[in-house]
Amino acid sequence: MMNKTLIGFIKKELIQTLRDRRMRVLLFVMPVIQLTLFGVALSNEVKNIRLAAVFDSKDTVLRDIYERSIAGKWFIPARSATQDPYTLIEADDADAVLVPPPGGFTRALGRGNAQLQVLVNAVNVVQAQSIEGYLQNIVQDTVRDDLGLTPPVLPIQVSTRVLFNPELKTSVFLVPGVMCMIMIISTMVLTNMAIVREKEMGTFEMLISAPVSRSEVIYGKTIPYVLLGMSNVPLILAVVVFVFQVPMRGSLVALFIAAFAFVCTAVALGTLVSTYCRNQQQAALAGFLFNFPMIMFSGMMFPLENMPAALRWLAFFDPLAHFMGLLRNIMLKGGEIDYVATHIFYLAVIAVVSIVASFRRFHTTLE
Amino acid sequence: MNTFVWRRALAVARKEVYHILRDPATLGAALVLPVFMVVMFGVAIEFNIKNVALAVNDADNTQSSRRLLDTFDSSGYFLIHDARSPHDAITEVSSEKARAALIIPPHFEKDLFAGRGAVAQILVDGSDNSTVGPVLGYVGSIQMLASQRIGDFNQTLPYDMRTRFQFNPELNSRWFVIPGLTVVVMSILSILLTALTVAREWENGSMELLLSTPVEPLEIIVGKLAPYGILGIIAVVLVYIIARTVFGVPFVGSLWVFGLGALLFLMTYLAQGLLISVATRKQTVAMQLAMMTGYLPSNLLSGFIFPITSMPAFFQYFTMLLPARWFMQIARDTFLKGSSLLELGGPFLALSAICGLMIFLAKRRFKRDLEP
Repeated sequence: MMNKTLIGFIKKELIQTLRDRRMRVLLFVMPVIQLTLFGVALSNEVKNIRLAAVFDSKDTVLRDIYERSIAGKWFIPARSATQDPYTLIEADDADAVLVPPPGGFTRALGRGNAQLQVLVNAVNVVQAQSIEGYLQNIVQDTVRDDLGLTPPVLPIQVSTRVLFNPELKTSVFLVPGVMCMIMIISTMVLTNMAIVREKEMGTFEMLISAPVSRSEVIYGKTIPYVLLGMSNVPLILAVVVFVFQVPMRGSLVALFIAAFAFVCTAVALGTLVSTYCRNQQQAALAGFLFNFPMIMFSGMMFPLENMPAALRWLAFFDPLAHFMGLLRNIMLKGGEIDYVATHIFYLAVIAVVSIVASFRRFHTTLE
Repeated sequence: MNTFVWRRALAVARKEVYHILRDPATLGAALVLPVFMVVMFGVAIEFNIKNVALAVNDADNTQSSRRLLDTFDSSGYFLIHDARSPHDAITEVSSEKARAALIIPPHFEKDLFAGRGAVAQILVDGSDNSTVGPVLGYVGSIQMLASQRIGDFNQTLPYDMRTRFQFNPELNSRWFVIPGLTVVVMSILSILLTALTVAREWENGSMELLLSTPVEPLEIIVGKLAPYGILGIIAVVLVYIIARTVFGVPFVGSLWVFGLGALLFLMTYLAQGLLISVATRKQTVAMQLAMMTGYLPSNLLSGFIFPITSMPAFFQYFTMLLPARWFMQIARDTFLKGSSLLELGGPFLALSAICGLMIFLAKRRFKRDLEP
């Protein structure tokens, strides 16, 4: 299979792609910069919440609640231009406001019917949920301490332990996701556009009339992008492990096999999509049309469990979902052999199906 | 010589419109994409974690332990299935068959009746951060509920805390995500299509041809960009209509304010797309650059999903350079809060400044490359 024609073809393709200095930067430098950037910037832990509380000097419990919140790592004081809690939220001066009952929270506690109201800006749903959770705990602890209540001993306790990522570091969870996202852009989209470009320029017809076989054209057009995609893996992986300290508990070999399967699948899908596109504009749009759901079903931004069951099976067709699962499983959990083998197999199935389909499409569209 | 003639700009625009119409696939994709994305998101996105797969090993198998399981089950957050041994339960977590493992030791009921406090253990998969927090929260409240139900525990807190969620009282995830989608959809269409369309003229060599005609550079730009601007506006209108009618997202603000924000954002990204295409002159490079500078930041750094306030201080300032961040705020605030133009003064000022800068840069670069 590896004859001279094919090798020449691959060389030409690599030279053509890498000859452009900007393309080299985009392919090798940008992924590393982006991974670092997003890895540092993104976090799903809600922090820096601007908290305000309306209390007078006699309301000691509420003051304690406020001070304890600020002393913790989640809240910062809001710049309160006004005393009206609704205006504070409305004018975006605070994200949450503690509102005591008339006469103060401390006195109400003494009367035995204390009601503490919390106003939360819920434009961001995720943030609002976290704020409520944080405040519930702080208020409970403070009230107990101030009133001298001992925390009750529950007759039934569920002790919790977090496996694989006990400190709940966000980077451990997010960085593999970002890595997948960046890799799919530089494999699937690139392959797709490179092939369509050839079609648009009319050079594809030339190739067909040249003494090369159809399979040589297809392999010659895909193998270079598999190579390019794979050359990105050690680079990105180094950042993931050394900069972000994501543990690497499984075997490197398993990880590279998984990455190889993923890159092949992405390139194969890119090839298949390219047979449907006539110009690069279409190819780019198609790239997005596929990219967005892929990211969605991969579980990077939203937990897959939450999707309606009627849609969840779609994740099976999403190479990104398989790769994301593989990456996390191998890096964080050491790679459970059954799981790794199954999902690499699924990736291979998607790759083979798309390549076979591309062959058939080339057949019908070109000859 | 240097006068701007609308007729000539219109002629270029008309040619571009023909070009778009001649290629129904592109047009279709450009219009289907936003609809598809909103529907997908509207149907599929739910931030309240449910259906957490829980592998259970109940070594006690008594009435009390079964009632504890029942409490987990009836909470609606967990999907329970049995595991043969504690070890099996943990293996299920590491092979992604379960998100958490619950292990009830053999002496659970005995401990409970002896008043020693019965302890069960739950192990949560930390590799998916987004589920851990909520799951730990659920476990806390289940522990309380089970104590009351099974252990006859009744100590209530001496106060009552009520949370009022302003602007989205029921914490509907769709209200949060869909207004933000207008930003993402527009950023894809505007920056990408313009980057490609102008880059193609260079690639095909037809730009030189176009320039040798009496059409002025500025007329070419306006003519080429206007149709894509209109396409972007149509996309926003589509998203708006679906959001309002299909998913019932409220819109309490002023449409004028939202529209003005959308227009400014669109112009900024059209200019950025133009800048990319002039700088790259090649569609493959333009596409990668548009993805990297337009699409990923507007998806990840605009506050669409990941809150900006949680970012390290440097990045909070950095996001101020991104037009998507400002339009995200305008879109969400006009949809849910009903903010007026005055209240959104900051975002509008910032967006206008970035827009002006982008147009200036694009124009200068375009001129420099064209006029000998």
